[in-house]
Amino acid sequence: MNITLRINGKQESIECLPGEMLTEVLRRAGHFEVKKGCDTGNCGACTVLVDGKPVLSCSYLAVRAEGKEITTIQGLADEAKKFAAFLTAEGADQCGFCAPGFALTVLAMKEEFSSIPDEAQIRHYLAGNLCRCSGYEGQIRAIKKYLEAQHAE
Amino acid sequence: MQNNDYPIPLPNDAKLEATKQFNVVAHDLPKVDGEGLVLGRPAYTDDLVPPNALYVKLVRSPHAFARILSIDPTDALALPGVACVLTWKDIPRIPITRAGQGNPEPSPHDRFILDEYVRYVGDEVAVVAAETEALAEKAAGLVKVEYQKLKPVLDFEHALDNPIVIHPEPGIHEMFPIGFEPKRNIAAAYHMEIGDVEQELAASPVKVETTVHTQAQQHVALEPHTAFSYIDLQGRLVIVTSTQNPWHTRRLLGLAFQMPLRQIRIVKPRIGGGFGGKQHIHVEPYVAMVTMKTGRPASLALTRREVFEATFTRHEMRVKVRLGANPDGKLRAIDMQVLSNTGAYGEHALTTFMVAGSKTLPLYNKVSAVRFGGHVVYTNKVSAGAFRGYGAIQGLTGLEAAMDELAHKLSIDPVELRRKNMLHEGETSEVFRIMGEGTEGVAMNIESCKLEECIARGKELIGWDFTQLVHEVAPGVLRAKGMAIAMQGSGIPLIDMGSARIELQDGGFFKLHVGATDLGTGSDTILAQIAAEELGVDMEDIVVHSSDTDHTPFDVGAYASSTTYVSGSAVLKAARSLKTKLIEAVAEKFGVAPKDIVYTQKTFMTADGTKSLSLNDFSYDTLYHDGEKMKTIEATESFSGSKSPPPYLAAFVEIEIDTETGKVNVVHYVAVVDVGTPINPNLAKVQIEGGLLQGIGLALYEDVRYSEAGHMLSHNMMTYPIPSREDVGRITVELVDSYEPSGPFGAKSAGEIGIDTPPAAIANAIRNATGVRLTEYPFTPERVLAALKAAKTQHT
Amino acid sequence: MEILKYACPQSKDEAFRLIREEHGTAIGGAAWLRTNTKTIALGVDLAGLGLEYVREVGDHIEIGAMTTYRELETNPLLRARFGALFETTVSHVVGVQLRNIITVGGTAAGRYGFSDLNTTLCALGAQVVFYPDQTMDLAQFIERGAKVPFLLEKVLLPATAKGTYHQMRISENDFPIINTTAVWTGSEWRIAVGSRPAATRLCPKAMALLGADLHPSDDILASAARAAADELQFGSDIRASAEYRREILPVLVRRALMEVRE
Repeated sequence: MNITLRINGKQESIECLPGEMLTEVLRRAGHFEVKKGCDTGNCGACTVLVDGKPVLSCSYLAVRAEGKEITTIQGLADEAKKFAAFLTAEGADQCGFCAPGFALTVLAMKEEFSSIPDEAQIRHYLAGNLCRCSGYEGQIRAIKKYLEAQHAE
Repeated sequence: MQNNDYPIPLPNDAKLEATKQFNVVAHDLPKVDGEGLVLGRPAYTDDLVPPNALYVKLVRSPHAFARILSIDPTDALALPGVACVLTWKDIPRIPITRAGQGNPEPSPHDRFILDEYVRYVGDEVAVVAAETEALAEKAAGLVKVEYQKLKPVLDFEHALDNPIVIHPEPGIHEMFPIGFEPKRNIAAAYHMEIGDVEQELAASPVKVETTVHTQAQQHVALEPHTAFSYIDLQGRLVIVTSTQNPWHTRRLLGLAFQMPLRQIRIVKPRIGGGFGGKQHIHVEPYVAMVTMKTGRPASLALTRREVFEATFTRHEMRVKVRLGANPDGKLRAIDMQVLSNTGAYGEHALTTFMVAGSKTLPLYNKVSAVRFGGHVVYTNKVSAGAFRGYGAIQGLTGLEAAMDELAHKLSIDPVELRRKNMLHEGETSEVFRIMGEGTEGVAMNIESCKLEECIARGKELIGWDFTQLVHEVAPGVLRAKGMAIAMQGSGIPLIDMGSARIELQDGGFFKLHVGATDLGTGSDTILAQIAAEELGVDMEDIVVHSSDTDHTPFDVGAYASSTTYVSGSAVLKAARSLKTKLIEAVAEKFGVAPKDIVYTQKTFMTADGTKSLSLNDFSYDTLYHDGEKMKTIEATESFSGSKSPPPYLAAFVEIEIDTETGKVNVVHYVAVVDVGTPINPNLAKVQIEGGLLQGIGLALYEDVRYSEAGHMLSHNMMTYPIPSREDVGRITVELVDSYEPSGPFGAKSAGEIGIDTPPAAIANAIRNATGVRLTEYPFTPERVLAALKAAKTQHT
Repeated sequence: MEILKYACPQSKDEAFRLIREEHGTAIGGAAWLRTNTKTIALGVDLAGLGLEYVREVGDHIEIGAMTTYRELETNPLLRARFGALFETTVSHVVGVQLRNIITVGGTAAGRYGFSDLNTTLCALGAQVVFYPDQTMDLAQFIERGAKVPFLLEKVLLPATAKGTYHQMRISENDFPIINTTAVWTGSEWRIAVGSRPAATRLCPKAMALLGADLHPSDDILASAARAAADELQFGSDIRASAEYRREILPVLVRRALMEVRE
């Protein structure tokens, strides 16, 4: 079947099967920033925003996204670059495979919280973004500094 | 969830001394590929697959041990769009190893790309290729395989001399003596003794014996193993793959397919994590078979379940340690006996096992007698292979448990017991000479060892007070501290070799080509830092290209904590050599002797200051302006270490244990580390933080479980969760000032040492909390509670 | 998983008809679909039915079947009436990204053994409403299931209650080994236990022992906690043995009760 999605502000008409998940469809459309990590909805590497909310695209029916606004990290590239600067400054980007999904969740968190979340809130909000490289500490350092800098702006 | 507001001393923000000595090295520069990766630009193998590639799926064994009687591909081939079904009959019967190691490999050649026998659930049976992934999967399901089921050996404690022989087949062999005895289910064996251990133990007034059992562990790099292949314009086979060792991959494939190596090119793009899990050939042979058969590009990305069931795990080991000491705590003898489970095939069987001794026993170098030995046995489980910290984490877990038991027996501070016996700068250990990864070792004096400093700072950070290592925070809930120390290596001496080529480009920048394999650790970045430092330029002036067998010089690959030390030394040598050539060329141009050229601030000047030329101008001169003097200025250098200087780590952990439920949480893990000069302190620190969390995962959470028939039960991330960011309260890593004279700008390794201590330190903390020595990993709440109850019953 | 035909009806009548008469399979949050190997002839997406709501109606609270876990976690009405109960119950479930997908209806309909949420819902005395007009205790539904294909429309809760959720996990993003929710309804105690690893059950004997007193003694709490373990069946799986579950359940129940009592 054919579905029409708005991906990063651009209308795209895509062929998909009724049972297909959004990850497959997005990657087929060239959105390689959406990663396939675990196949079971555990790792968060495939995170995209659907109407502004972070969801696992591997667990989100593609047909259900019809008419919705899909945002990948590429759709928030300017903001993502700002965060990337903090993440790489801590050396916490490592292999980078989890990074697009992780960074997108960080940006969603920033939107959702009216004030700067504390460390426990940060860890909790991002618990669905697994990383096997970093041990998370450097990521936490980067997020805190990024949020503080954003808040100061 | 852990409370992260735990009060801890502020980290020491004082910069390392090294930072003051260098301009680029020892500075926290961002990773060169960092922003691109965060933005999700296509970079990993699966992002780069050609659009017309065939999809490859593998038919895998549903049995732990079986002989294939027949394979009928008729129904699969009848599906429109199915390109081929290949079986063991389609390839030469050449025994190989899948382990990416030096040549000759210390692993037995006991494996065929496809075989008539399958030896674990998930073992490869047939290769199916089709136009779409769904079609390939469907076709794989239609391949009819008839098996003769054989009784498997699943328990490694019963593998040795079991009447069931896992490798009875002819033709398999070891490359040099490693104790390979397949008829006894032995993949490798080793024994060594310095002094007379039994006599020394008998004479020791204080003795302890501890046996630990560490489980298999999964790497769970977030990117699944992926490869694609195609035939290039010259008819050569090109494989793009998530590998840690392009050259070993090329060599092993050449052997397996009986192809000249010149016909193969291996390219590694970005890798989404490795940890040793991609130090083998798991996917490359199968895409290659399809491309060679069909002439078409072919791609294979393993499902997560396949990664779990059919790549490699950490070696399960039983480690028995006996110590003999004097009443004052002076160690006299260490005996370490190991049984290791290599699973169905012997990849890294010997080396992993050797490291259990060679990278732990030298820690306590003042003993009169030391012995190490044991067997590595086959079982019908998925093969074990390389995994960060291999052998060291298992051996250390046994050794550091025994050390704490000794401290308890003597009622002395475990920190003081270690200080009394541990290795110091300027010392050596006979073990270095006797034991290496492939049996024999290399003698080495320790030129840098800041363990004392690591311990002192670690005590401060955790608030170590031997008289109060445990306190109750709520009814039944205890907080307790424990510690352990560790060493690793920096590459395999006289075996690991890396090379680098640096070439001046117009515009005054440099092209750095390295064979080294960045698997997400940041090695492209730190190697560029080393080049920039030596060449006196900025990071931006170095453009790195790595890991392509056609376009970069040789490197064994990223493993054994080798990249910074081995490949980094090659880069430093190349940069030095290039600098000499640049100065010589400019000297000739100026008509002066090279010694009269001063090179600073990217500018060449004569010593008398009369002539000066910028690097940028010179780059145009040498490439465009200097007529018949024009030349490319480049240098290629290689490095193979004559030693493997260990980094050191002192770990202190505070845990919380709920004695009513058995749940153990890590509240704070402190690691103070001597990595020599950290080329990029942040990247080194994050390497260690990541290693620590993997080690904590092994200690508390992660376990590879099988059914009684040998099916893996923990075959996805729902059944094998890796630690999340809510599991551990806080991890604090600090680096100490240290300088390794043999390393590039004083550097040693940082990649593996982080993972080594958590199983031991956490066990020691639980022991301090409860008096109970846990030995069966991981310490799940059920195991902990059972051990506490058993101890209670014993006491009453 | 394969869906041969997909429908996204815009009315409950139509959805109900497709499920009942055309053997349609209701699709709720759909997160489990990907790990399912079945072929679904007709998938009936409930996303067009307007079942995303948390609202007060008369003397109870209604939660639409398509309400996500994330909504339960952050909804001001639920927080006002039940404190942090819903937040602590669902907060361990993977991550925000999954909790933005999975639904209360999918969880109740699936009667999953490992569920955190069903334990809390049962302890609260939740009822499920099957379209058009059948209401059933969730605990009863979990135990017995349904004989015919159904459209689960909403979940009903009492307007307020005081409860707390306790669980044991090997690691934070794992499934629970065992979980329990203890609730003081205002007039009685209710205890539910899930992840045994079989599905949630109430503990009537333990509840009876506690009586109608918000401040039972420590001894009574302890004996109720033990009673809960005695009256339930436990099983073994890769995470823990039946014995371990039985052994620690009283600890969790006791702690949950004490927390509510305070």
